[in-house]
Amino acid sequence: MQCRDVEAVVEQEGLAPLPAGARAHVAGCQHCQAYLADLNTIVNMTKEFSAEVEPPARVWVSLRTQLELEGIIKEPASLPTVERSSWWIGSRNLFRGRTLATAAVGLLIVAAGALQLRQTTVLPAPSDPIFATAHALNEQEHDLSNMRLASTSPVDTSLRQSLEQLNEFIADCERRVKEEPRDDLAREYLAAAYQQKAELLSAMMDRGRSVN
Amino acid sequence: MTIRWVNRSRILAVAAGSFLLAGAPAQAAGEHIEKHFAVKGRPVVVIQNVANGRIEVKSWKNSEVDVIANQNSGKIGFDMEQAGDRIDVTANVLDPNAQPIELETSLQLAVPEETELQLKTQTGLIYVEQVMGDMTLESVAGDVHLKEVSGYIIVRTTQGSLICTQCAGKLEFESVGGSAQVLQPALNKVNLHTSFGNILFDGDFVRTGLYAMKSGRGLVEVRFSGNDSFDLSAQTTMGTVDNQAAAFLKPDSHGVKRLASRFTKGIIGSFGAGLAKVELSSYSGTIRILKRD
Repeated sequence: MQCRDVEAVVEQEGLAPLPAGARAHVAGCQHCQAYLADLNTIVNMTKEFSAEVEPPARVWVSLRTQLELEGIIKEPASLPTVERSSWWIGSRNLFRGRTLATAAVGLLIVAAGALQLRQTTVLPAPSDPIFATAHALNEQEHDLSNMRLASTSPVDTSLRQSLEQLNEFIADCERRVKEEPRDDLAREYLAAAYQQKAELLSAMMDRGRSVN
Repeated sequence: MTIRWVNRSRILAVAAGSFLLAGAPAQAAGEHIEKHFAVKGRPVVVIQNVANGRIEVKSWKNSEVDVIANQNSGKIGFDMEQAGDRIDVTANVLDPNAQPIELETSLQLAVPEETELQLKTQTGLIYVEQVMGDMTLESVAGDVHLKEVSGYIIVRTTQGSLICTQCAGKLEFESVGGSAQVLQPALNKVNLHTSFGNILFDGDFVRTGLYAMKSGRGLVEVRFSGNDSFDLSAQTTMGTVDNQAAAFLKPDSHGVKRLASRFTKGIIGSFGAGLAKVELSSYSGTIRILKRD
């Protein structure tokens, strides 16, 4: 069994319990261990968010539309009913490589934004929900560093340079938002940078997986 | 119809080409393949180019999609598939150990004027000319050049830049480090966002059009004509606003008093009757507003 087989198993059957063959492969494969750890982290964080706030229906519509556009799901879009007990079943379709990470982090960003809108007073910067997104992205980046390729191809070089630039920009925006939490323009740029970083990390993970 | 072309050697390629392309008005020799797909209506062309190279799409009057592929080595395979009016072309790396220069490949397409496009490449230039139809163009490091295209145009790059000349319809551009130049457009909806690139919009604003241009660190420059009519909002957190058309700027004329955020620097007002809506912003770059002579 290889990495792509483990991904296929997760896509079809969810995270647990993995078949014996998949478990044997994961036991000896750092890449798959990191992959499964990512999935568990995202699922756990998403559960935490859903306990605090119900994302508006448009979030689900947007996510579903994006998944349909990418051909991940085929059913026609309809307004979903927000049932916490069934979200896991629906989200099994999310376990498709790059889409998973992008969609999940996108959801985190939107949920963070929703939480922010509900607040009547401005929280101190360290407890600002938008920084939960930063935390999730940093963990994903840390996992990526374990599988990052030493390739000097123009594509990998471009992706790495972009990530470095984005990290500097994010740090700059975060400083500004901490200093002035009500600066909506800075928040807007910070959220956009998070989204770009999520997509960049997903692209880099995809390239790493294709080699592994 | 599916054709898989693998160029392992000259002899194999010629033999396989002769066999696979038999009966079709195509020719394959060495590192070159050409294939024609007859279409009835408005075709949808999907290209996934994992290799490094240029994708060029031009229109012609024929009801046919013509694909020409060239490559430097035999380490790229092309899957070409037609399903009705949908044409899929995918380049695959046959040798994972191939060097980047060995993965250079180019695709030239001739398509009917009304064609939808979904093109994806890594480092090569995407060039589209005189095509009408919705299109999604994605690249990591390659630039995207569009000339006289119209439709709902979506361009996403990591570092690649966009030059859109005489484009019409709606345009969305999203990039980390790429720049965007929109020249002589007839676009009624524009949404440009780059974190580090520059943005240049040089052309007329269509009345009732909506235009949003944002750059994190880059320059956002707008050059408009004296006949243009638009409401303007230009805001920056850490950058500067260089309004070289201040003499033409009036207070917002629509009765809704809009105020800039006290956390940003910027200007709000109207040029002419304020019929279009233009929103410019930059986190730490410069916003420049110019009126053309």
